Amino acid sequence: MEDMKAIQNEIHNDRRGFLKKVLAGTIGGSLLMVYSASGQEIAEQIPGMREEDSVFTKKNFVFIVDITRCIGCGSCCVADKNEYNVPDGNYRTWVERYIIDDHDEVFVDSPNGGLDGYTKARTDIPHPVRDTFFVPKLCNMCEKPSCTQVCPVGATYKSEDGFVLVDAKRCVGCGYCIQACPYSVRFLHPVTRTASKCTWCYHRVRKGLLPACVSVCPVQARKFGDLNDKTSEVYKIMREPHIISVLKPGMGNEPQLHYLGLRREVV
Amino acid sequence: MEKEYKSSYFAHVLRLAVILIVAGGLGIFARGIFLPETMGQYGHYRGSDIQDQRDVEIRNQTNDACYECHRPIRMIHKAGVHKTVSCEVCHGPYADHVKDGKIVGKLPVKRGLEIKDLCLRCHNKVIKARPETSIKVVAMPQHLEEKKVQITHNCNQCHMVHDPFLWVRAAYEMMGLPMKGETK
Repeated sequence: MEDMKAIQNEIHNDRRGFLKKVLAGTIGGSLLMVYSASGQEIAEQIPGMREEDSVFTKKNFVFIVDITRCIGCGSCCVADKNEYNVPDGNYRTWVERYIIDDHDEVFVDSPNGGLDGYTKARTDIPHPVRDTFFVPKLCNMCEKPSCTQVCPVGATYKSEDGFVLVDAKRCVGCGYCIQACPYSVRFLHPVTRTASKCTWCYHRVRKGLLPACVSVCPVQARKFGDLNDKTSEVYKIMREPHIISVLKPGMGNEPQLHYLGLRREVV
Repeated sequence: MEKEYKSSYFAHVLRLAVILIVAGGLGIFARGIFLPETMGQYGHYRGSDIQDQRDVEIRNQTNDACYECHRPIRMIHKAGVHKTVSCEVCHGPYADHVKDGKIVGKLPVKRGLEIKDLCLRCHNKVIKARPETSIKVVAMPQHLEEKKVQITHNCNQCHMVHDPFLWVRAAYEMMGLPMKGETK
């Protein structure tokens, strides 16, 4: 009773203040409810990534593409186009279809980079088919990149944490790096007129999310992770006796993109 | 006389030295103006670009982000074999729908034959490269004939797109029949 009296007295003394407090509480509370759904609390996909605050991450990232799992659905290409609004006709990542016949002839096609998926079988193969599979392609993030060596203005570089990136503000669009890349992953962005390429979704990775293509792959053909983390899937794969290779090893670029179950015919 | 002779003897060297110093000074001045401030901070590139790269907008979120609001579909999608399929591949990127916690646009819902096209992106048997361990593939229209339905049937008339065996399983249960090992 005493408490109630005290409260009533307070209300009498400062009616305006009391109403203000009630209103502020209501509005604040409802705002909080709205903002809690703003995607900030989504679980991080790369363990321990959000705690890192240094300029460069201490993690040693590798990308593994499992050829034996890829179904060529093109989800990765769709996600990639959505993530970066990649202009039509340019591809940061694409999926190639390989067909090898019993005369050892190799047929490769990639209609619209696999963006629309593969809907038709190839009818122009003269001999019985021996093997057919899909090969997703993206930036190889070379240990020794050719593209950074030829840049005349220091616009493309390999960061300390192993990502090869392009500074769109610095790039003059000369196209040297596009020619230098042994894997043809670079293109001249038709709007910005600067070189552009796959970044392994650097902005997502630094915020603890997997690259867009890895995140959407329905059959886990694309794997991304930290080699320093002994519990990660990529660490296990790299340690186990699998057929693991890189594209064009003879070029000496030492890619950090590895392929699982890659046939030697793939270039 | 001797002094004058000496000064003219070194004059051309002095002139060259002054020109070189001035040119060098101008060069350093121009470099300071034209090179970005953080150039060379970590290597031969603009150091602040690392932050610029980190600040690129995230447009695709995860399925969990969609489930935050779309609760009923979460229950269905997470229970079925399609749980690994990304919402955003069929419906479009998260950023076109929600920005800063507010709805900014409606994402398209696929209808009619668009659904069939989406299904056959993955499940089309004529593309022989699809590993059996990864996915179940069907030939069209043989699959429809085999299941004794009309050839004009669309995939989503039997298969709930978010959990393909939801209705099939329910139908089998209703009939009291066992499912022929179709769910993985």
